[in-house]
Amino acid sequence: MTGPADGKTIKDADSLEVAPGFAHEKLEGWVPELAGEEEVRQALEKAFDYRGDVTITRKDGSTVEGYIFDRRSGKTLADSAVRLFPKDADQKISIPYSEIAALTFTGRDTAAGKSFEAWVRKYWEKKAAGEKNIGIQAEALE
Amino acid sequence: MPVPISQMWTVASYVVKQKLAGRKRYPLVLMLEPLFRCNLACAGCGKIQYPAHILKKELTPEQCFRAVDECGAPMVSIPGGEPLMHPQIGKIVEGLVARQKYIYLCTNALLLKEKIDLFKPSKYLTFSVHMDGQREHHDFSVCREGGYDAALEGVKEALRRGFRVTTNTTLFDGADPNSVREFFDEMMELGVEGMMLSPGYSYDKAPDQKHFLGRARTRKLFRAILSNRKKTWQFNQSPLFLEFLMGERHYACTPWGMPTYNIFGWQKPCYLLQDGYADTFKELMESTAWQEYGTESGNPKCANCMVHSGYEASAVNDTFSSLRGMFATAKATLFTRHKDEHALKLLNETVRPVHSYNPLVQIEEASGQLEETNA
Repeated sequence: MTGPADGKTIKDADSLEVAPGFAHEKLEGWVPELAGEEEVRQALEKAFDYRGDVTITRKDGSTVEGYIFDRRSGKTLADSAVRLFPKDADQKISIPYSEIAALTFTGRDTAAGKSFEAWVRKYWEKKAAGEKNIGIQAEALE
Repeated sequence: MPVPISQMWTVASYVVKQKLAGRKRYPLVLMLEPLFRCNLACAGCGKIQYPAHILKKELTPEQCFRAVDECGAPMVSIPGGEPLMHPQIGKIVEGLVARQKYIYLCTNALLLKEKIDLFKPSKYLTFSVHMDGQREHHDFSVCREGGYDAALEGVKEALRRGFRVTTNTTLFDGADPNSVREFFDEMMELGVEGMMLSPGYSYDKAPDQKHFLGRARTRKLFRAILSNRKKTWQFNQSPLFLEFLMGERHYACTPWGMPTYNIFGWQKPCYLLQDGYADTFKELMESTAWQEYGTESGNPKCANCMVHSGYEASAVNDTFSSLRGMFATAKATLFTRHKDEHALKLLNETVRPVHSYNPLVQIEEASGQLEETNA
């Protein structure tokens, strides 16, 4: 979370004309280096914010691909954990940071390339081509 | 038709009970998200950016009932995703009606005509139909041409069958206040019970990160829209919250007022932000670092927020906190006009969104000069 704990605060929110919005890094396919504790924490924070699946390789060699929906940060890596829904299971699982050997952003970023501008551009292009019922279709659930 | 007295009484007596019990933090509306799947893909929405296996998941009716019982709030809002896509939505609503909860089923209404036989009219059930303004504005906002007409058909059918129907409208930077006011006329003529309004929130997971109002613009826009009101307009919201949107009141955020439950659990800290999940409602209330949220905390993720899920509960709490609050609510309920010469002038200003590439102001030519008689 980018919150007060990070020291990044907005003091005069009442005078804001427009919300600053969030910039998203291109993380799809990224394999962060988990060299030390700080790298592990930063990478898993990014995985928590990511809009797609990630693959975690445990130190015992097993892997799990899924969506990280929660992380609980403790004082040590052993008492910090990510919680995720594995891609192929219905039960939530929890993995301590200390058991994670590798992390890969394997899933597609589900919001990338879908900006309002992209929609407007598409709309006018299709309109100019004489198309009707123009819209962004919800994605098929493969 | 106004909000039923039984609903007002239920909410009022619930809040008074919380006050008498000395509860500093209490839920007012449970935001129950039974699924994230949706049949729209609005660019400004931050609720549906999940991999397919997450979008396929849904809460069971039993999970919904457990959450409702655990939370204890007198009202339950069912957003999503699109709740009408849930295969057991009829059973979920039936169970909540049996628990005498006042339900706002938030829908884009694309499926309302098709699914309406699943429901029975009840004072406990309201279809809260997502309508982001007049036809072109709504269609652009939901990224679907024809979305407005389909929703309108659903609204008409629900009204014809005797259901309670409200609209809920989210406004973004570039919204034309004159068009919004005309939209209010259209909705009231249609016969909806009332309207709900909110500025859009810039979800950090949403594809669109550019068209969200900052607080200064939000107050200016809502002052233009909600001043010089017509008597026919009915709002299904706290009148003090509307005054907050107009910049006439200041409230601190009450993120616990509308707690959210979905397939991940109890969402920390509120309906809009996802900063983790608790497994129980008790854990949510006890383990969330509430002081780190709300505009007053300086948290940048809360900086532009004036959304009902954070501030309407604050307004309701204000009503019941003192005689002054009661009096202000009575006054705001009885005297709704809010005559304001400056706001009339705002209606004559050209809409200038911060980001120029915004079609909402290109669709229609600006309305002619307004005089007070138009208001």
